[in-house]
Amino acid sequence: MTIEAPPPSVRVDDLVLDGRLHLEDLVDRDGLDELCRSFVALFGIPVRIYSNEGGLLADTAIEHELCAYVNTTVEGRKACAATVGAVKARDAGESGDVLHPCFTGAAYRILALEYDGRRVGRLIVGPFLPPQVTEPLPSLLSIDAAIDKDRAQVLLGKMPRAKAETVTRITTHLKSALDLILFSGHKSFVTSKMHLASVRESYRQLEDKTARLQEAFDRLKELDRLKSNFLATVSHELRTPLTSIIGYSEMLVEGLAGELKPEQIEFVKTIHAKGGQLLSLIMSLLDLSKMESGTMRMTMRPVRIEAVMKEVVSTLLPTARKRGVKLQMSADASSLGEVRGDPERLRQVFINLVENAIKFTPSEGSVTLRAAMVDEDGDGGDDDAGLALLAPTRALVEVRVVDTGIGIPKREWGRIFDPFYQVDSSSTREYGGTGLGLSIVKRLVESHGGTIRIEDNPPRGTVFVVTLPQTSAGADVTSDARAPAESRPDG
Amino acid sequence: MRGIVQINFGGREIALKLVYYGPALSGKTTNLRSLHHLTTETSRGRLMTLETRDDRTLFFDMLPLTLRAETSVTGADRAGTPAGMTLRIKIFTVPGQVLHASTRRLVLQGADGVAFIADSQISETEHNAASFLDLRRNLKELNLSVKELPLVIQFNKRDLDRIRSDEELAALASRGREPVFRASAVNGDGVLETFFGLLDVTWRKLDREHQLAKLLGIASTELLPMAARQLGLETDVATLLSSCLGGTTQRTAEVSS
Ligand SMILES: Nc1nc2c(ncn2[C@@H]2O[C@H](COP(=O)(O)OP(=O)(O)OP(=O)(O)O)[C@@H](O)[C@H]2O)c(=O)[nH]1
Ligand SMILES: Nc1ncnc2c1ncn2[C@@H]1O[C@H](COP(=O)(O)OP(=O)(O)OP(=O)(O)O)[C@@H](O)[C@H]1O
Ligand SMILES: [Mg+2]
Ligand SMILES: [Mg+2]
Repeated sequence: MTIEAPPPSVRVDDLVLDGRLHLEDLVDRDGLDELCRSFVALFGIPVRIYSNEGGLLADTAIEHELCAYVNTTVEGRKACAATVGAVKARDAGESGDVLHPCFTGAAYRILALEYDGRRVGRLIVGPFLPPQVTEPLPSLLSIDAAIDKDRAQVLLGKMPRAKAETVTRITTHLKSALDLILFSGHKSFVTSKMHLASVRESYRQLEDKTARLQEAFDRLKELDRLKSNFLATVSHELRTPLTSIIGYSEMLVEGLAGELKPEQIEFVKTIHAKGGQLLSLIMSLLDLSKMESGTMRMTMRPVRIEAVMKEVVSTLLPTARKRGVKLQMSADASSLGEVRGDPERLRQVFINLVENAIKFTPSEGSVTLRAAMVDEDGDGGDDDAGLALLAPTRALVEVRVVDTGIGIPKREWGRIFDPFYQVDSSSTREYGGTGLGLSIVKRLVESHGGTIRIEDNPPRGTVFVVTLPQTSAGADVTSDARAPAESRPDG
Repeated sequence: MRGIVQINFGGREIALKLVYYGPALSGKTTNLRSLHHLTTETSRGRLMTLETRDDRTLFFDMLPLTLRAETSVTGADRAGTPAGMTLRIKIFTVPGQVLHASTRRLVLQGADGVAFIADSQISETEHNAASFLDLRRNLKELNLSVKELPLVIQFNKRDLDRIRSDEELAALASRGREPVFRASAVNGDGVLETFFGLLDVTWRKLDREHQLAKLLGIASTELLPMAARQLGLETDVATLLSSCLGGTTQRTAEVSS
């Protein structure tokens, strides 16, 4: 089976390999802001960080007094805005480090931020005053007539001064701190993505496997259905010629085709008996497959269970006698009422159980059929909640088939109802049979809304306990016997 | 699938992905740590080790190396990018524990070459084999074939007792196609040899298929010496490569085709 696997959900390469990493994804903005603030607190020079996409990630702009003063004039404000705009737009250049002068004499440094050898953003430091500027430049004084030279001189003195080397040292330090932040940011970014990706990948694999299992399961189910159909057809086709074989051998024994010698009669009788066995096996198989496919029709009506029991006893009495086993029944007809069921099928249930009981009981032993009314909680149900409501619907008829035979070990109780299961293979030889009886019994009982269980009969023997709902309780029993676990449409 | 080798940024960058594969605890992470330790800072970035538990790899480790072509043939000066071509190599380790199968496949995807790190201890023989089958299966699922993938094998932990002997390794190596290296990654032995062995077979194949040397503006034979120089190594490349066992079949095959 080859199911093409879809490609994995995430590319590890995308997480670490190419240049699509955005500064925004890698840093914690608050942390970045704090870092820049501590930088400003130390050196008094403003810092701003822009991502490649132009996003402002950290801004610690403090307004110098000189700048505030310039901004009080009309032309000064215009020139200031123009400078700030130009700085914001300026690239760090080939070298990754450029100086941008301001008309006040101050300057900005624009530096490239790199991560993993690639530019991811810009660092803007300033404005600060280069040491060589000691008094107001003409460019400042001429910008607006309202600027007073003395005042400008005083405010200029208050601006932070920094040599180029100092700014370089400071920014190098800042950049390496930033690099660490970016690395750990990148790392946790990748980690969280990998978490998601590996979960998704495992899920995808599971889904894949589930789909395969489902497919295999559906195929098996279909095969099972085909097998049941096959069994039903073959059984049916076998039955017709077999009936002829039995019929003709019967006629031969009865002498309808002329006298036979005693030896010939023996032979034909054997043919007749074996044919009978074969027919009952086929009938069992047929029943089983009908029940499995849910096509067994049952005619449900009120049935007096003690009548069914009587019939079973009288049918099997000769067999019991032959084996030296005592067969008896007890039932209080007046208290039992009726159960809802198909009398023919119920007869089949008890014929099977009593046949087994006789078969597995040595001579001198006994087999007893006993019927009584029980409440559902009478058989160990410990939940009596709402009993007032439920009791009326729970009246049950219990039929016990008790023998004093070889017994069934407890560990076999669970499997004894499986088709073809027999307690041990040597008993197959000693007792014959195919192991289909109990599996049919169980299905029949369950399709009557009843249950079957096994109990010990100390000191020796087995009890099969069948419970069936009383008529009023069995109102919901349908007339179609279906496999108890699941129902499927006929055909 | 993308074409195996990635050429980015207007053709000014070539990205290679190398993967260290192998069974749990064979020393993949240790190899990367040693490689990190043995090379100089200028060309290698930080070793990224993702969330480990008891020192076991959960997702992957990754070591980036950046080599700049030492000839500037491209005159086009684009602002924001330094002139010349860049070869970026990312080395990954997979998590070796069986449990991390799906992560292994994720990391393996798009690999240009694989170093299989085996454990030399005789008791680990089956784990080595199982992990190699796992590699083959994963490659197949990713539509790659182990036959076409540049591959070297390292037998690590040569410093321990109860390991497969050198003679045995030589015999094994002569039977297989792949170059085999011996290493003791904790001590840094054989680590550079393995890496350059892998770079060698990977470069040969990709250069043949994509004319990478031409793109980088160097001669095919120049890459390894250039890498060694930029990584700050004193040993010469031929010496590093000569420590390998076997692998001749693969090399002659590559040269002749
Ligand atoms: N003696 C010896 N021990 C080594 C050597 N290489 C690695 N180890 C040890 O083996 C153990 C596992 O090494 P790692 O590198 O974590 O193994 P790994 O292959 O990354 O394992 P996973 O991440 O679980 O797949 C560590 O205790 C290393 O110290 C070596 O050459 N010799
Ligand atoms: N009353 C019983 N005492 C002891 N063992 C029993 C009794 N009833 C059933 N068994 C065991 O359960 C097995 C299955 O019984 P089941 O009726 O299904 O098959 P069978 O009697 O062997 O064959 P079939 O009924 O198909 O002719 C029997 O072979 C036997 O081992
Ligand atoms: Mg039976
Ligand atoms: Mg590891």
